[in-house]
Amino acid sequence: MRARVPAAAVSLATGAVAWELIGRLAGVSFFPPLSTVAVRLAEMAAAGEILQSVADSLVNLLIGFTISLVAGLLVGVAMGRYRKVEAALGVYVYALLTAPALVFAPIFFSLLGDGRGSIIAVVVMYATFVIIINTASAIQSVPAHLVEMARSYGASERQVLLRVLLPAATPMIMAGVRLGVGRAVTGMINGEMFIAVVGFGHIVTEAGGRFDSASVLAVLLVIIAVALGAVWLVQAVDRRLTGWVPQTSRGSQ
Amino acid sequence: MIEIRGLSKSFVGQDGGRVQALSDVDLDVAENEFLTVLGPSGCGKTTLLKAVAGLVPVDSGEIVVDGTKVRGPGPDRAMVFQNFALLPWATVLDNVAFGLELRGVGRAERQERARALIAMVGLAGFETKRPAELSGGMQQRVGIARALAVQPRVLLMDEPFGAVDEQTRRLLQEELLSIWEESRLTVVFITHSMEEAVLLGDRVVLMSARPGQIAEIVPVPLERPRARSLERSGKYAEITAYLWDRLRDMHEEHRAAR
Ligand SMILES: Nc1ncnc2c1ncn2[C@@H]1O[C@H](COP(=O)(O)OP(=O)(O)O)[C@@H](O)[C@H]1O
Ligand SMILES: [Mg+2]
Repeated sequence: MRARVPAAAVSLATGAVAWELIGRLAGVSFFPPLSTVAVRLAEMAAAGEILQSVADSLVNLLIGFTISLVAGLLVGVAMGRYRKVEAALGVYVYALLTAPALVFAPIFFSLLGDGRGSIIAVVVMYATFVIIINTASAIQSVPAHLVEMARSYGASERQVLLRVLLPAATPMIMAGVRLGVGRAVTGMINGEMFIAVVGFGHIVTEAGGRFDSASVLAVLLVIIAVALGAVWLVQAVDRRLTGWVPQTSRGSQ
Repeated sequence: MIEIRGLSKSFVGQDGGRVQALSDVDLDVAENEFLTVLGPSGCGKTTLLKAVAGLVPVDSGEIVVDGTKVRGPGPDRAMVFQNFALLPWATVLDNVAFGLELRGVGRAERQERARALIAMVGLAGFETKRPAELSGGMQQRVGIARALAVQPRVLLMDEPFGAVDEQTRRLLQEELLSIWEESRLTVVFITHSMEEAVLLGDRVVLMSARPGQIAEIVPVPLERPRARSLERSGKYAEITAYLWDRLRDMHEEHRAAR
């Protein structure tokens, strides 16, 4: 745990140096060195292009991920707890988990137009199902004796769910939420690239059309920062919620 | 206190056939009695206890506790589990108060009662610890305190000391005896240890392997309060030896039947 932050810093620094060196040595226009990209990023930021895009994209990400989280937890808990719900929905959830979510973009595009709604829908398609599946198996793997204990003290179904199953399942649910955040960021980018009238996707598509690699990579840097920020946030929440998990059983998490 | 009449219960086994866990069991437990249940593993001891707890629906027969037919779990009965069944995320205090919390007892009152019981089982000072920070013996003390906190009339214990080491088990046995002697509890205590069955029980119910019947009920006419010195008495040795003879016969019959 303690060694993680320096390790990440060292890893990032190494990557940055490698990028700079390869960029300079290669000397090709489609792979500019980090310093060029950084300068371009500063220019874009100064021009105000980036800021608006970041804000747009983050709002899409936030709304889409919130919907995924709520839907994922509700459906996941129902599937994990009630065999009939699992029998009814399981096959669809697995099908949609494995289906490339972007194939639904044209449908959303024609239904919801080229605005925010379509991109949010794509984010939801990307993130929801992995949360559902992890939540369902988290609920199923709660030791039966805990439920039995609660029932022996007269727990209602609601108490069993809220006081036993959810807290016991939280560590595994959070693993699904972490995966979900990663997929939500991917969904946001892919959605914006496809629909390409707002946010990062817009800049990338435009810059790509001009073969302006420095701009594309500058946007990529910002996206990576957004993704890392989102994952970091989820990890912080995770640590708060699952601090009770004994260190020994955490393993290499 | 507890009347069990014609109790039968079967499960669907792994091969799809039916496993008879209990067949036509009759049993009476007197008020304030300490009853121990002994038998080969798989003979239906846990099923019997869970049926009394109201956790397992039965096929036929009935269980009456204190004049009321058992239809589900109730505040008159509390269970202590072999694997402790503690909430790993909750502190000792919250674990002990859990039964009260489920029954809607307010925070201040349940914590006060929980603290008293934590002290009673010798865990004062450990209120804010989590189960993973405790030894097995301490975890089962929490399990016992949680059960006592709801002030049951009947304490149902399923091999409660089976998962703790020998020395801790001896301490826990003595503590349980003194708790029982001070309270007016009826205890049904499952064990696989003949010594434990005799040390603790007023009577030992001997169950036989499939299909889940009571083979014999052995009275234990040893004076109370019981002390460890009992283990050197002739009577104690005689009863444990008798129980072992009967159990060995059962194991041999079981082997011959296969
Ligand atoms: N939930 C269950 N599903 C299927 N079979 C069960 C279940 N519970 C108990 N059994 C079977 O019933 C029999 C009695 O089990 P149990 O009461 O746990 O025995 P004991 O506690 O004496 O070891 C065993 O053969 C066991 O496999
Ligand atoms: Mg058992």
